[in-house]
Amino acid sequence: MKNKNILWVSLLLFPVIAAFVNTRPPTPIVIRGTSPKRWVVSQNSSLRVNGSTNINTFSCVIPAYDKTDTITIKSETDKGVILSGSIGLSVNSFDCHNSGMTKQLQKTLNQKQFPVLQIRFLSLNNLPAITRNPEAITGLVAIEIAGVTKQFEINYQISEDSEHVINLLGSRMLTFSDFKLIPPRKLGGMIKTKDQLTVAFHLKMKAIGDL
Amino acid sequence: MKKILTTGLIAGCILFILSYGGLYLGVRFFPGLFVAYNNPLFNSDGSRDVLFYLHAFIISFALSWFWDRFKGLFKGTLVMRGLEFGFVYSIIALLPVMWISFSSLDITVVMVLSWFLYGLVQAVIAGLVFAKLNP
Repeated sequence: MKNKNILWVSLLLFPVIAAFVNTRPPTPIVIRGTSPKRWVVSQNSSLRVNGSTNINTFSCVIPAYDKTDTITIKSETDKGVILSGSIGLSVNSFDCHNSGMTKQLQKTLNQKQFPVLQIRFLSLNNLPAITRNPEAITGLVAIEIAGVTKQFEINYQISEDSEHVINLLGSRMLTFSDFKLIPPRKLGGMIKTKDQLTVAFHLKMKAIGDL
Repeated sequence: MKKILTTGLIAGCILFILSYGGLYLGVRFFPGLFVAYNNPLFNSDGSRDVLFYLHAFIISFALSWFWDRFKGLFKGTLVMRGLEFGFVYSIIALLPVMWISFSSLDITVVMVLSWFLYGLVQAVIAGLVFAKLNP
């Protein structure tokens, strides 16, 4: 009788004990860096938006970033790099090399209500040793335009120049409709702006080491 | 009155085809002339497209009334009457409007000249239709 009770208790407790004993995670997460590093985005950084209509193409640029923002590398694991930090770009700073086109883009992006375009850096798939040779990496960003935020995977090229400035070049195709914006149309629809845009940015950053 | 409305409607249909057909071909073959329209000065959300396409009928009915009222002043052959009518409308109505538009809006000379020519051609075509249908 006593043996029978021990057997029942053992059977009931087995899954509980097994759960504690088998604590190995499905895939190992190796944290390489324990303290976060920071990249300070310099004012020479730029952003370009390329698009087209049925009669021409346009290229609008924010030639110089007017703030100093920081991107923090929060953790670096085998699964990727977690980032935090964002850059805020003034929609008013766009220059399409044609005053009418510039005003049109600002109006389309609803500049009066949403004067700032935000790019929030979320992660990188990996962080290679940064050298003068550009390395291709990918990463997630959240882009906020006209009050609508969407996440995108961005293809980057990362390199470092002789002055230890980190160059992060990213580009991505997106559409006006991603942000619930209506591409402008003129003369009863005879002139139509295409929905698709290419956004390319070039961040120049300085690493400022461990916090 | 019936004559004014019927000739206005016929002229409106002809102008609709010629005006927007011409505009479509202009955009297609001379795109450089239309780049300046990418400007917030011009409606961009499509909310006024119906009004835009009604223009051919608005101008036709207005000119039809004008023709009926003053047709006795336009003498000569059908072509001459149509041409004179078009020029009279352009000088009296278009020129001052183009003048004030250019002086007050951020638009180009090419734009204003193209609008003037567009209106002149529309009025000449309407004049030819009226001279034929309501002599």
